[in-house]
Formats: sequence, structure tokens, C-alpha cells
Amino acid sequence: MIQKKICMLGSFAVGKTSLVSRYVTSIFSDKYLSTVGVKVDKKTITVAEEEVTLVLWDLYGEDGFQTVQKSYLRGAAGYLLVVDGTRFETFAAARELQKMAAQVAGDVPFVLALNKADLAAEWQVDERALFEVADAGWRIVRTSAKTGLGVEEAFERVTRAMLEQQT
Amino acid sequence: MSDARAGTDERDYEAFGELRTLIVGEERDQLASIRIRLDDQAQRQRDVGEVLPAVLLEHAADPRFTRALTPPVERAITASVRNNPGPLADALFPVMGPAIRKAVAAALSSMVDGLNRTLEHSLSWRSLVWRVEALRTGKSFGEVMLLHTLVFRVEQVFLIDRTTGLLLHHVTEGPGEVRDADLISGMLTAIRDFVKDSFSVTDGDSLEGLRVGELSVWIEQGPRAIIAAVVRGAAPRTYRTTLQAALERIHLELADDLAQFKGDTSAFEAARPALDACLHTEFASTAKPNHRTLWLLLSAAALLLALWAGFAFRASSRWNHYVDALRAEPGIVVVSSGRRFGKYAISGLRDPLARDPNALLAESSLAPTDVVATWEPYYAASPSLAVVRARHVLQPPQGVTLDLKDGVLSASGPASVTWLAEASRVAPLIPGVAAFDATLSTDAAVRDAVARLTALAPLFAKGKAILAPGQDDVLRQFVALVGQLDTAAAAVRQRFRLDIIGHTDADGAPEANLPLSRARAATVRAAVQAVASERLEIVDAGVGSDDPAVRSDREADKQRNRRVTVRVTPLGGVATVKAARP
Repeated sequence: MIQKKICMLGSFAVGKTSLVSRYVTSIFSDKYLSTVGVKVDKKTITVAEEEVTLVLWDLYGEDGFQTVQKSYLRGAAGYLLVVDGTRFETFAAARELQKMAAQVAGDVPFVLALNKADLAAEWQVDERALFEVADAGWRIVRTSAKTGLGVEEAFERVTRAMLEQQT
Repeated sequence: MSDARAGTDERDYEAFGELRTLIVGEERDQLASIRIRLDDQAQRQRDVGEVLPAVLLEHAADPRFTRALTPPVERAITASVRNNPGPLADALFPVMGPAIRKAVAAALSSMVDGLNRTLEHSLSWRSLVWRVEALRTGKSFGEVMLLHTLVFRVEQVFLIDRTTGLLLHHVTEGPGEVRDADLISGMLTAIRDFVKDSFSVTDGDSLEGLRVGELSVWIEQGPRAIIAAVVRGAAPRTYRTTLQAALERIHLELADDLAQFKGDTSAFEAARPALDACLHTEFASTAKPNHRTLWLLLSAAALLLALWAGFAFRASSRWNHYVDALRAEPGIVVVSSGRRFGKYAISGLRDPLARDPNALLAESSLAPTDVVATWEPYYAASPSLAVVRARHVLQPPQGVTLDLKDGVLSASGPASVTWLAEASRVAPLIPGVAAFDATLSTDAAVRDAVARLTALAPLFAKGKAILAPGQDDVLRQFVALVGQLDTAAAAVRQRFRLDIIGHTDADGAPEANLPLSRARAATVRAAVQAVASERLEIVDAGVGSDDPAVRSDREADKQRNRRVTVRVTPLGGVATVKAARP
């Protein structure tokens, strides 16, 4: 059995917890997020004929990223950078978060989840910005916690990348 | 020129060779020898074989050797078993049997302990409270009992990768609820990080435990892994040493796996024995009493019991003897006896003439204060007491003996007729006396009265039927004796015939003397008639001078012949007379 620690990163209210809730059935209350600053969930999936248990650390997001969360990133085999597509500032914050995560967790795979894809009319993150990060090697998946769009794909892609990196 | 040069070079070479031989010749030989030795595989094998045992012995504790040797040894054993399991089975046979027995014994012991606890607590008051609690909380009775008798129990042990917080292995014990261990492992790690980051603790320090109610989580941190033990109850401080030892063992045995951990937890199944060693349960009731003290207490209790039993037996024995003595005592009837309110109680009937029970009590050695006696008076019919009572009532004269047999009171010995008469009247009224037999005494009284009466002979004046001077007292005495005889006759219910016979002297004609003698008899008869009853048949007669007291012509002797005598004869020929209760 292979286990991987995956962190959910993103600014406040970008939909990290909603994505996790869409993906797993949690046994812990969301109040852990606002108290301890993290909530741990689990999901077992099969990728490339390999059964992998993802231990999801949903980190509490604030605009000013707290130092306490750095330690939560330690040992992460990958992470999801969640951005609210209707708020561009969350995309900018994600770039900063990625730098910080790279420092703490090292060069581990990650996926940029452009969340709230169902709100196309309010979309603020333009294609040019996305091209920039895509050129930098970022994996990008449009997601909607509301409709379920891209949720599984985002997790599968980061898992596959982790397994590839492991080999 | 060239030849000369060649000759010079050759000499130089030889000189150089000699010089080289002188300087490094020995080393060259040694190097050649070493080279030959290194090239010789058989020699190398011999060399390694010589040093290998010593190296292994010297570095047996080196974990690198253990790690290095483990895979080939495991493979060798696996191959051996696959090829032919016989030799390994033979080798393990001596240890497998004891190991299996030990495991079975441990399982049985655990089962018996559990059964004992269940039985011990199944019928007590405490168990009832626990049953109510079980009903209230919805838990099983066994679970509630376990929780209350438990000192502590390590329910779960987590082995967690220190860096990632991923669960490496997890073992559980007991019926406690086990939620998703992976998530708990992650949250524990998060909480540890949270505490460490929030309170700026010193490097190397970390959260060592959590406590919620009766549950606590003991956390022990190693360089690469963390052990977290979930403990219910109060574990001793020494338990942390157990966790440390387990963590050290895991770091030693799985050092490479820990260092290279990338998420594959399968290798950490090997940590199970070390983690199982951390699972421990201790019950409050497992403490056994101090047998020496227990034996001393039991011995003292047995001694006291024996002493008490001894004293109780002695007192009981004395009491039984006392009661038996009372029962055997004439005039005492024991109605009930036994213990009441911590004292001996006895009640019954007691003849006033019977022996005093208190005197018997004094002889029994029983404390008078321990005995409560109630005696009601009564008259006993037993012969011995009846005789005493008769003696007390009748007051027999000296020399008279009373005896009672079959209800008949017999009097023997000289007694006055008056006493006999009174005794004959009173004796049948005495309890225990059915009849009075005064034969022996009566005969004597009668004989006495008759003897005294017949010894008297009132004298009469010459030629007259009047008493001679001074004979009035004799006649009165005569009359009194007749009265006594009459009384005796009444006592014995015997009739007597009194022949009062008159006598004369030889003077005068017989024709005259006979009437005179009759007259003298009539005189006496008239005197005694007043005191005689029908029991005395009195007959007077005269014999003249035919039966003189003395035959003499002297005047004094003639006076002795002028007399009246009496002859007493029992009537009916009945010698024995008994007075019976009317």
C-alpha cells in the first residue's frame, strides 16, 4: 500500500474544503480548520494500476499566509494550488504560495486547480496569466466543487505526477 | 665507443640492480608473496574463513552486520524450507512445542482471568450498579466492568513517519473504537506541529502527550518515526520507557526503510512485534493479597475460634452437667432450659424440701450471673422427699424410724400411742404418702400399755369393794392406761378385750369372797368405763381368792391379794393394722 501526503493550498474562500468535501467523505469537522488550521482527510484511488491512499491536508487559507502552516507542508508528496477564478488576487497569492511550498516541501508535483469554473461570467483569471504559469511547467485543471467538474482529474493528475517522480 | 658505452650501461644496470636488491629487495619478495596469495582464490578463502568468525563475534552488536546478514539468512532459510522442510522442522521441533504450549497457556490464562473477573463481579452490589450503567450507556456489561476494573490499557499504538505524518503501522488491543488510523495519524502530526509552531518550543522538544478524560495519548519521538500510544486509564511513568525501547528497536531494525520511506508502508509490517510489545493491560484486581499476612490472620482467627469453641464447649458441658444434676435431684422438675439473650436460662418446679439449685450451681463452676433460674413451688411425690416431708410433719419421737415404700409410710420403733394416733391421722394427708403402717410401733405401744396396765393392781380395803387408802392414784393411773390403750386401739383399729378381775384374800368364806371380788371388779370397771370406747370390750369378773398374788398369812401379803387385775386380749386375731388415706 502506497500513501501520499497531499496539501491543499490557496487563499481564503477559494473552495479548498469544498473540493475535498466533493472528493471524500470526511470524519472530522470543518472547525479543525479554524482551530488547528488543518483538517486531514483520506481518499484511496487507483492510478496507473497502483492503489494509492491520498492523505489530504486541507490547510486553512488566509490572505496573509501564516507561518504555522509551513510545518504542515513538510513531507508533502504533492499539493493542489487552489485558485478562485472569479478573484484574480487569489491567483497572484497562489504564485506566492507555490514559492513558499517549493521551499518547504521541495520540488514536488502540484496542480493548479482553477476553481469555481461554473461561474464563467465572473471569471477574472485571464488566459495570458495561465499561459505564463503553464510555460513554467504548472499543471492546470479547471474545477468546480459545485458541479464536480475536474475534481477527480485534479487529484489524479497530481497523484500520477507523484508516482512518476517516485520512480 | 658504442660497445664501451654498452658495457658501462650494463654495469650500471647491474649496480643499480644490486642497489635495488639491497634497499627494497626484502619488500619486493614480500610483495611478490602477497601478490601470489591474493591471486590464489583458495588461499583467500582460507584467509577469510580464519578471520570471519572473529569478526562476526566482535561486531555482533553492530546493526550494520544485522542488516547485512538478515536478507541472505532469510533467503537461505526460505530456500532451505522450499527444498526440504525436514531439517528446519527437525531443528525447530524442540522449540515449537514449548512455544505453542506457552502461547496456549497465555491465551488460557487470559481467558481464565477474564472469566474470573466476570464471575467475581457478576453477583456483587457493584455489578448491579455496573449493569445499570451498561443499560444506561448502551455498552455491554463486560465493557463497563472492564472500564471500572482497569488500571490502564494501551488500546492503540501508532507508528508514524515523522516527516510526512503518514501512518507506517498501527496495532490495537481491546474493544475500544478504532476510527480511521490514517487520519488520526495525520491529525496527531498536525497537532504536534501546531503546538510546536504556536508556542515556539526549543528544538528537540515536542508534544509528549495529550489527555482527554480517562484517555491519554503518549507520544514518543524518534529521529525518523513517532510512536503514539492511546492509553485508557493511568499508566505508570515507566511505560514511557517501553515506548522508547520499542522506538529504538524499530529505528534499529528498519533504519533503511525509514530513511527511504516514500509512501510504501508494506515494509513496516516488520514493526508489529515491537508495537505489540507496547500494548499492555493492567487490572486493579490482579493484585494478589499478601499470603503471609493472610495466613497469619487466618491462623489468629482460627486460634481465637478454637479458644472460643473451647470455652463455649466447656461452658456448655458445665451447663449440661448442671441441668442433668438438677434433673436427677429429687423434688426438682426441669421444664425448660437453654440460652436466652446471651445467658443460660432454666425454669421448672421445685419442692421446698428439695436441694437448693444455687448449691448445685456453685458446684457446677458456672457463674451465677450467667444463669437465670425460675422455680415454681410444688410438692414432689418422690419417696425420699415424702419421707423427709413426713418426718418434718410428724416429728417422730426419738427412736422411731420412718420409711416409705410404694407409697406406704412405715413407722418403727417405740412410739407413744398418742403419737401413733396422731401420725395415723395425719400421715395419709402428706403428699407422697398413700398409707401409714404403724404396725411395728403400734405393737410396741400396745405391748407397753398392756404391760403397764397389767402391772397395776389397785388394792382394796379388807372385806370391802372400796379402794384401800392411798390407792386412788393407782386407780387414776389405771384408768389413764386404759385410756392410752383405747387410743392405741384406735390407732391400729384393733379391738381389745379387757377382763377386769376382782380378787380377795383368803380370809372369809369363798361364798363371800367371790361376790366381793366381783364388786371390786365392778368398781374398777365403773372407773375405766368413762375412758374406754367401743374398741375396748370391758368385762368384769371375780375369782375370789382363787388366784392370789402371793400365798401368805402375813397381813401385808393379804393386802396385796385384795386387788383388781386386768387381762388384755386382742379381738379378731388381727395383728397388723394400717391406717389409710380416707
